[in-house]
Amino acid sequence: MSQLTFEEINTTVLKTLDKPTPGYWRIVALLFTGVLVLFGCWGYQIVNGLGVAGMNTPVHWGTYLINFVFWVGIAHSGTLISAILFLFRAGWRNPIARAAETMTVFAVMIAGIYPMIHLGRLWVVFYMLPLPNQRFLWPNFQSPLIFDIVAISTYFTVSSLFWFTGLIPDFAIVRDRSEGMRKKIFGFLAMGWTGKSGQWLNYSRGYLLFAALAAPLVISVHSVVSWDFALGVTPGWHTTIFAPYFVAGAIHSGLAMVITLMIPLRKLFGYEKIITIEVLESVAKTIIFTGLIVGFAYGTELFIAWYSGSSIEQESFWWRAFGTYAPQYWIMVVCNTVIPLAFLFKKVRTHIVALFVISIFVNIGMWMERFVIIIGSVAHDYLPNAWGFFAPTLFEFAIMFGAFCLFFFLFLLFAKHLPSVSMTEMKEHVHHRSHS
Amino acid sequence: MNSAITERPATGRIPIFSIFALLAGAGFIYFIVLAAGSHPEKAWLVFLINYLLFTGLALGAVVFSTMMHFTKAQWSRSLSGIAESFASFFPVSFVLFILMFLGQEHLFPWIGEDLHGKEIWLNVPFLFTRNLVGFLVLYTLGFAYLYHSLWFRLDRGDSSTFLKQILFKLWKNGTTDPEKIKRRMTFLAGWFMFAFAIVLALVGFDLVMSMDPHWFSTLFGAYTFVKAIYSGFGALIILAAFLHLSSSQSFTLTSKQFRDAGALFFGFSLVWGDFFYCQFLVIWYGNIPEETAYIIERTMVQPWSTFAWTIFIACFITPFILLLSGKLKEFPRFMIVMCSLVIVGFWLEHFLLLAPNYLDSVDTFPIGLNEVFITIGFLGLFAVSIITYLRQFPELLNGEVGEGT
Amino acid sequence: MSAETTSIMGLFESEEEALAAINEIKELGWEVQEVHSPIPSEKISAVLKRKKSKIGWFTLTGGITGFITGFSVAIFAATRWNLIVGGKPIISWFPFFVIAFELTILFAVFGNVVGLLTQVGLPTKQDDTYDPVCSGSFYGVLAGAKPEESEKLKDFLQNKGALASSFSQTT
Repeated sequence: MSQLTFEEINTTVLKTLDKPTPGYWRIVALLFTGVLVLFGCWGYQIVNGLGVAGMNTPVHWGTYLINFVFWVGIAHSGTLISAILFLFRAGWRNPIARAAETMTVFAVMIAGIYPMIHLGRLWVVFYMLPLPNQRFLWPNFQSPLIFDIVAISTYFTVSSLFWFTGLIPDFAIVRDRSEGMRKKIFGFLAMGWTGKSGQWLNYSRGYLLFAALAAPLVISVHSVVSWDFALGVTPGWHTTIFAPYFVAGAIHSGLAMVITLMIPLRKLFGYEKIITIEVLESVAKTIIFTGLIVGFAYGTELFIAWYSGSSIEQESFWWRAFGTYAPQYWIMVVCNTVIPLAFLFKKVRTHIVALFVISIFVNIGMWMERFVIIIGSVAHDYLPNAWGFFAPTLFEFAIMFGAFCLFFFLFLLFAKHLPSVSMTEMKEHVHHRSHS
Repeated sequence: MNSAITERPATGRIPIFSIFALLAGAGFIYFIVLAAGSHPEKAWLVFLINYLLFTGLALGAVVFSTMMHFTKAQWSRSLSGIAESFASFFPVSFVLFILMFLGQEHLFPWIGEDLHGKEIWLNVPFLFTRNLVGFLVLYTLGFAYLYHSLWFRLDRGDSSTFLKQILFKLWKNGTTDPEKIKRRMTFLAGWFMFAFAIVLALVGFDLVMSMDPHWFSTLFGAYTFVKAIYSGFGALIILAAFLHLSSSQSFTLTSKQFRDAGALFFGFSLVWGDFFYCQFLVIWYGNIPEETAYIIERTMVQPWSTFAWTIFIACFITPFILLLSGKLKEFPRFMIVMCSLVIVGFWLEHFLLLAPNYLDSVDTFPIGLNEVFITIGFLGLFAVSIITYLRQFPELLNGEVGEGT
Repeated sequence: MSAETTSIMGLFESEEEALAAINEIKELGWEVQEVHSPIPSEKISAVLKRKKSKIGWFTLTGGITGFITGFSVAIFAATRWNLIVGGKPIISWFPFFVIAFELTILFAVFGNVVGLLTQVGLPTKQDDTYDPVCSGSFYGVLAGAKPEESEKLKDFLQNKGALASSFSQTT
């Protein structure tokens, strides 16, 4: 890494922006059909009603909410990497910051779609905004669902602006090395950036402030999402640990998604000298940390459920482990807390295949965690005669599949048309390393 | 310069060790008098509060060193050496915890109560055993970490102090490969922080939350260790600032180091504030009486509500407003005042959480001279431990440190 | 200044070379007009005596506005019908704090963006004197001298190891 020169960084990254192969376009087209599945199914649901999904009394929140929380969670580690690690001056973030931030922007977009899908009557989504109307109706800002709207919109806006700001010097690099149409487009995007010292001075300050603002925002957004559950009195939901637990879990799943994305990316684009194995190792080490926090939260919840002496809490947690959804529960525990411990061994966390496989397991585990929390509590709360059952319909799975396709579709388009590694930050990293 | 610390202080130099030792002794006698009096629970309450506060400070400060090592931070080398000095309080804290066994009737309100099945968890033998084992593991990990960290920091040429002689003897028989020692340090640092979280969570549940055995909050354990980190970093900054300002010590920090340490302190003030808010919001919003009774008594009923607001202003509002900009963090005198304010705030916070369980009716202001004297005694004990450590390893104050991180 | 100055850009391969050159140029009495660099450099900013950035004030203003707006919006909405919902007080500060917090961040970011655009000066027309290699690995030092001295300046820059291009400008 220390032999990496500025020019090498430029050429390696700019090469990825070369004309894509037909194979690339075939994969993009395939993913696009997945996107069409998403919108097609959504359209079908709008015509035929929410009943095509599996929600019913008592489980009114199904995979739409699970996926909503899942995608917001994935978004969080992107901001962790680009903003929080920036504040801590952790150099290992620089090679992956751009891809992670992009992951955030797209993941928030996907997450934002889900409440609208879940709404059913999409055309009245504006009811949730504080707009003057003839009946003088206003949103109830005490409700955590309204917190969600404010928080997620803020998060999307801030992440997008942060992402774009970080891209400006890189736009200038692409502009300076392209011709014709591409030069015009990137010239427009770079807004005349020429790297003057005055520009850099103010830009660095603005970037630092962005990071300093994004960091508390990340914590607050997933705390707000957790409060969708914790502020109610449902057993298994009403617990004070939810906010930090959800934030840790979000970072856990997001880091796993980062590994899942980075490994193919670096292989296909030849980024091995930039996204080195040490970088992936650092991500893996952080996953151990977040996995331990998640495990701590599981243990504490179980302990306090017993300690509280509340028979309802005790029944709720016992049922999670041994009731109808026991398989999901145990997948969750094993995938989130046990499997990441393999990263304690250096051999495992520096092995590409192991990294990739474990990251997939963590993502599965975190999806299951949201399933267990959301479905597991609502299906089995206070009154035994209100206990119920939920199974996602094929339809919901199709929408989920479509949403994943949308994410990868957007990410693939990004990877081939915008610099997927921040050349500027890589240069700063290399410069810093050679001067410290 | 080193000898100036190990020698007897010359005339005109303040004999800080003796002063603090005197305060500790006086506080101890005062405590015994109070505990033997008509309200022993008040004495034991103050004992518990100070025990929790100072143990938290010590552990939080040592966590600074392990955290900086684990993340391979470079800027904090000299500061970590000072942070490790807080480990000198570990054995004292261990003994103090055992002493609490003597006051069990006054300390644990649930003794003899009908706990509807919680007795298998809340009983004196089990509680003491599990916490003692936890502390034993935690402190052993801490000392093992220190054993390796000091390998890099100590000057082999000078073996004038007792602890250094022991360490040099032990190290002669051990490995001399710096990379191996660094790896062990990283391993121990990681496990120390893990044990720190588990043990302090346990302590929070056992020694604070369960003093009202009918209340519970899942976040309480994590809240306890976040408090320890926040206040521990504050204590570290205070010590570093005093050493920096002192003309008789050569220890100095750059303003950048003060700024970075202050920034970490500020960051953890936000974390603490966030954890506080999380607990409060969920309990307030759910409005379930078995949860809200605890909160209502402490935040909405006099005199406790005054305490609650004082704590909030001291521990969150003031640091937030004053530390938001970068400049004030660079002034050691300011940081001493700021961090002291926060630590006093945390003393009050422990008091607020615990006292309503012990004091039935509060007619007069519940903190009097008794509490102040005993607290000063604990402070004396704390300072004596740190001074002893720093005198045993005077090169830590030199600002010249070797490899390791 | 009504005198004509010729600007010459010297392209250096490293920050150290560029810094050394800047110091010498200033000693020799010529003007350092601008430095283009591929990455930010605190040292170059210090040597050029650039003033501290003012962006923070924009951000702070935005943040304070957002904080007040958040509470205002929430209180406004709650007091239209004065209904007690969920047993909570009509104006409950505690949950409203979340709205205030989020809008603080949002408006602070807007302030930050406005600050960035105004202080960095974007969008702008690209400088004529810009050399595209400066976004690669070269540090471009733009020095100005009177036209009579321009040859001396050019030679000086080339002696320092830079590639030089020249432009003519009237100030």
